[in-house]
Amino acid sequence: MKIPTHPNEPRRIIKNWNRQQKIAPYLFIAPFYLLFVVFMGYPLISSLVMSLYEMRGFQSRIFVGFGNFTDLFGDPIFWKSLRNTAYFAIGTLTLQLPIALLLAILLNSKYVKGKNFLRLAFFAPVLVAGVFVAIIFNLVYDQRAGLINQEFVLFGKEIGWLNEENYVMPAVILTGVWQWAGFNMIYFLAGLQGIRQELYEAAAVDGANWWQAFIHVTLPSLRPVIAFVFVVSMIGSLQLFDLPYILTNGGEPADAGSTIVMYLYKNGFQFMRLGYAATIGWVLFFIIAVVSIVQLKLLGIFREE
Amino acid sequence: MLCLPIDTDGFPLGKGPMVMLVLFLLSTFFIFGRSEEEGEDLEFWIFANTHYEEYQARVPIFEAQNPSVNVRLINFGGTMHDKLLAAMLSNFGAPDLVEVEITSIGRFLKGAIDEIGFVDLRPRLEREGWMDKLVVSRFTPWSYRGRIFGVPHDLHPVVLLYRDDLFKAAGVEMTEVETWDDFIAAGKKATRDLDGDGKIDQYAIVLDRRTESDYFSLLLQQGGGFFDEDGNVIIDSELAIETLEFFTALFNEHEIATPVYGTWHGDPSNFAAMQDSKILSILAPDWYVGILKSQVPQMAGKWKAIGMPSWQPGGRRTTTRGGTMVGITKQCKNPDRAWELLKFTYFDRPGLINRYETTRIIPPLKAAWDAPIFKEPDVYLGGQPLGELFIQLAPDLPARYQNPYWSEAADLLNDAIFAAVTEKQTPREALTELAKKVRTLMAKDMSRWGEQHDLMKP
Repeated sequence: MKIPTHPNEPRRIIKNWNRQQKIAPYLFIAPFYLLFVVFMGYPLISSLVMSLYEMRGFQSRIFVGFGNFTDLFGDPIFWKSLRNTAYFAIGTLTLQLPIALLLAILLNSKYVKGKNFLRLAFFAPVLVAGVFVAIIFNLVYDQRAGLINQEFVLFGKEIGWLNEENYVMPAVILTGVWQWAGFNMIYFLAGLQGIRQELYEAAAVDGANWWQAFIHVTLPSLRPVIAFVFVVSMIGSLQLFDLPYILTNGGEPADAGSTIVMYLYKNGFQFMRLGYAATIGWVLFFIIAVVSIVQLKLLGIFREE
Repeated sequence: MLCLPIDTDGFPLGKGPMVMLVLFLLSTFFIFGRSEEEGEDLEFWIFANTHYEEYQARVPIFEAQNPSVNVRLINFGGTMHDKLLAAMLSNFGAPDLVEVEITSIGRFLKGAIDEIGFVDLRPRLEREGWMDKLVVSRFTPWSYRGRIFGVPHDLHPVVLLYRDDLFKAAGVEMTEVETWDDFIAAGKKATRDLDGDGKIDQYAIVLDRRTESDYFSLLLQQGGGFFDEDGNVIIDSELAIETLEFFTALFNEHEIATPVYGTWHGDPSNFAAMQDSKILSILAPDWYVGILKSQVPQMAGKWKAIGMPSWQPGGRRTTTRGGTMVGITKQCKNPDRAWELLKFTYFDRPGLINRYETTRIIPPLKAAWDAPIFKEPDVYLGGQPLGELFIQLAPDLPARYQNPYWSEAADLLNDAIFAAVTEKQTPREALTELAKKVRTLMAKDMSRWGEQHDLMKP
């Protein structure tokens, strides 16, 4: 590329340069917009349109308006899947995130040795693909020879973790804790390391003990991180699919392991009810949007300070 | 120095982006503008590893016989059906030939009959006389409204595998069991608390209460089903209700059945229970025997097999479970050539004998059944010639009628079975409610789609 440096340079080059100046920014941002339009914009609009149609076979479709939405709200399996998903989400928020925070606090403590190794050890499960996690835990929950039942069987109960309705979602939640607690721990750890030491020193001067410092210094300082982790974990929980799908062999027994996304998948790919599946997708979108806004509001993220 | 026959300086951002654009255009041309001489390619999609390995070994023979043909075998594993669905929906990218699993075919049959993405093979099968050469009932899972969209890969007859040593220890000679009543009597003797702690240590049979597999096998054995030949829902028939009552009674009344350990019969947990002698028998199709051999080889010599107990003396001693078809898609450019490959992989006697050697799957081609291999003693069954037993049962296989609603129906049937076995509903309530749900679904679709999609219209 030649850059004109002297007034005697040919005019043509200056003209080209000016043209490039105008075009270049658009070319730089074009890949994103192209990809967005092809892989996000078009499918989004297409799925919205699809949710207003019933599709049958590979070519036929008829307009049903909000018929799919009214069908969905009267569908007991959808509600059961929603309940299961909410169960998992609540389990995640109440079990996984406190564990993640606790691990972060421990690893942030000056009294713990081997921090680098422990960080890696706790973080490592997230590097395992969901499919393999499900396969591993299928063995862990094995009714006869599984790691967990090897302990429980001592008390005279051989639990069918993946075979009895009431144990399926707890089994999925525990697996989620194993896989994701270490990942969320990293966020909390980063947040903890960002808290100024002076705040703790000031609290100590005011006579605060460890617990009071945690409540009045650590937690308020971590608020943005907690908000982020809560929202991301909630969205991830609402999109739960691969883990229970493989762990429970498709959500059985009695749809005890069925989630919203699993029900979407079944309708779209197994039952070939694409319009209905698109409707589930949009309902899920609204649920995620509402829950995320409520969470952020409750955590005070929109508050002006 | 790169020399291009155009003004590179005039191109926005210079030579680099222009070279990239040229390469992009060239590669696009290369990918989409392939010459027609490759039209002799046949693409064949497979989802089962064992099938893939078999065809990998045999396809070179076909290619040697047909030098102008180049066969591309692609094994997508479990995701294949979703990929096929996407290819058929977009009307682009489907293979010439494809194998489809029996629980997945229903979704491909939705919509107007002419929109189905497979070629109707009935004219070819009838013209060349193949219908009579194969077990005709095995075409029913792949047929719909008078058309045949696939050729059966297998028969999958079911036998009762049992632990001869443990039944004998309980004083039962299983070869004398003929009916289900006989089996219940034998099962009550063999289901035992061995250590006197009040808990049963060994069950006469293991059955799946999570899914339709065992219940539906029993229903098919009696000539029942979810849908009849004309597409009517018959899952609330007296036959279906009585069968579910029988099925639940094995768990709750007779207490001779244990639910499958883990999530299905092939779960490691289930194999562990077998090795612990907690399970004394299992309903086993031919493919399941293959799985047992590979997963628990240490149990060789412990199993024996008989035909399934019948519902009446002299009644049918088998049923069918599972299955695969091969079909030619409508996107295939050369259906005649694809048909030749189909015949080579599915109707070739030496190939089918070889298939039995590697997978223990009994072929639907009757002409292959007289091969000596089927009479060979099976070491895994203590020398019993299992192939011979399967072949004796094969002509009596029940029909299993296909329907586009099968996927939804099976999903709901799983729930109904579980509700009945766990006594949340009576079998009658569970199946009546189930039938009502499926009929409502079908009626609603019918009212929306009208005559064009009339499921019962041939």
